[in-house]
Amino acid sequence: MSGEEEENAAELKIGDEFLKAKCLMNCEVALILEHKYEQLQQMSDDPMNQVSQVFEKSLQYVKRFSRYKNPDAVRQVREILSRYQLAEFELCVLGNLCPETVEEAIAMVPSIKSKGRAYDDEAIEKMLNDLSLIKKFE
Amino acid sequence: MFFHIILERNMQLHPRYFGRNLRENLAAKLMKDVEGTCSGRHGFVVAITGIENIGKGLIRDGTGFVTFPVKYQCVVFRPFKGEILEAVVTMVNKMGFFAEAGPVQIFVSNHLIPDDMEFQSGDMPNYTTSDGSVKIQKDCEVRLKIIGTRVDATEIFCIGTIKDDFLGVINDPATV
Repeated sequence: MSGEEEENAAELKIGDEFLKAKCLMNCEVALILEHKYEQLQQMSDDPMNQVSQVFEKSLQYVKRFSRYKNPDAVRQVREILSRYQLAEFELCVLGNLCPETVEEAIAMVPSIKSKGRAYDDEAIEKMLNDLSLIKKFE
Repeated sequence: MFFHIILERNMQLHPRYFGRNLRENLAAKLMKDVEGTCSGRHGFVVAITGIENIGKGLIRDGTGFVTFPVKYQCVVFRPFKGEILEAVVTMVNKMGFFAEAGPVQIFVSNHLIPDDMEFQSGDMPNYTTSDGSVKIQKDCEVRLKIIGTRVDATEIFCIGTIKDDFLGVINDPATV
């Protein structure tokens, strides 16, 4: 239980299992769940009856909070962010919240400014710029 | 945060399902058993996306049921302490407000709402700043930080705050 106690996403302490796992941005989850929902739709007339409440709520949530709708944009976001040697978790927080300023980005993902990471404000600014460009051209 | 992870589960299958469709039956049963469940360690299992591998079955003594170790990929939602995420306000009262981020419920107590926001009762209870420029009510979207999680057998419940930089209302349904 002690491991549970120390968990803190701000310092990237999310447990080994999740640190190594693939994180998903809301927009990626939306693509996966919608695909699955379509498959169910083909198999039965009333797919909402087939899915769990957790599925339904998650689908509504990710649809509402997806920053990027088109699958190409989603892929680009991941590609651009992955150039910056971010942890999976950090990458997804940035992709989900789309901070606009360096200050905001650091407030959302404090771990990018922690010890031993070589991000100066300029690098973060460039990253945010790249992100907002995708949004603009989507 | 949503994750794509590989989990393992021992599935017990009744002998009447043995045959050509054994794998399909196992997969269907797995979906029925696992999707929508929640554990403290892995969070909510939202959807199974694929079966990684099905191990050798073992006949259980006395029953005839066979246990198969099944590895599967799934999408899970697991909230973390310190995580910042967006959520939809579902209920507002004088103690604070409740918000939902996917399957998880988050409570933000009035101590963790900025001091300049006051509770207003009425048929649409809300928290409003003194100048009325910011309002938190049902169906608002807020950005909040999770500061605590409570796990019980079938649910994860979170405590959040909006008393920090860059947190609070993102959009108000009344003004959009």
